[in-house]
Amino acid sequence: MSTLKPSKLRIGPGTFVGVSEEMIHELVHGFYAKVRTDPLLGPIFNRVIHDWDTHLTKMCDFWSSVMLMSGRFKGAPMPAHIRIAEISGPHFERWLQLFRLTAHEVCPPDAAALFIARAEMIAQSLQLGIAASRGELPPVRPAAASPGR
Amino acid sequence: MTYVVTENCIKCKYMDCVEVCPVDCFYEGDNFLVINPDECIDCGVCEPECPADAILPDSGPAATPEWLELNARLSRVWPNITVKGTPPGDADTWNGAPDKKVHLILETEEV
Repeated sequence: MSTLKPSKLRIGPGTFVGVSEEMIHELVHGFYAKVRTDPLLGPIFNRVIHDWDTHLTKMCDFWSSVMLMSGRFKGAPMPAHIRIAEISGPHFERWLQLFRLTAHEVCPPDAAALFIARAEMIAQSLQLGIAASRGELPPVRPAAASPGR
Repeated sequence: MTYVVTENCIKCKYMDCVEVCPVDCFYEGDNFLVINPDECIDCGVCEPECPADAILPDSGPAATPEWLELNARLSRVWPNITVKGTPPGDADTWNGAPDKKVHLILETEEV
């Protein structure tokens, strides 16, 4: 796992809307507290995650890397989701629902909007990756002919 | 969904992107980098970091099938890169130069 410091000061998108490590911590811990007791998501998460302290740290590292360019997170979320066979659309819907709720509870509006927008993009990306791995979609590939190029 | 590295990376290869990517989905050629579309999670962190503005979401019009195909194909055969090296000395000269695709080197050194 790489723990190199960035070679230059990098300013993440969260900086412009007041995101801080403290806000990330509150958001991540608040969100996963909801997840763990959620009737739809709780059983899956509680089965897959054995060490919640480690997982919560990792999720704080993830959002810190995305929002503040801290470079702390290194991992492979796509295969981690692909290998959970029962994940489907309603799980992602519920995940986003709880995340939006927590973001609005914890963050000022601009920061909440940014967190939610990123989460929605990543959720879509993960869903497409999962679908492709199951043969439910063709993999993301260019069309043979693209009109209007 | 994925991000895709496009033409302006060629012969610049600044590699700022690899430092910020949380999922290490960049792969390295001789004078170009590509993103593995199966690993990219669309977090969007790399796009603003590229000094050449060469990284685009695949939803944008400049992410043409040609660049999507190159990223998908080359990321399967090129080595993974997670550490920013030293860009070419003339990277800034090539930033914004037209028609760089002719300079793209597809082969990599044998490991």
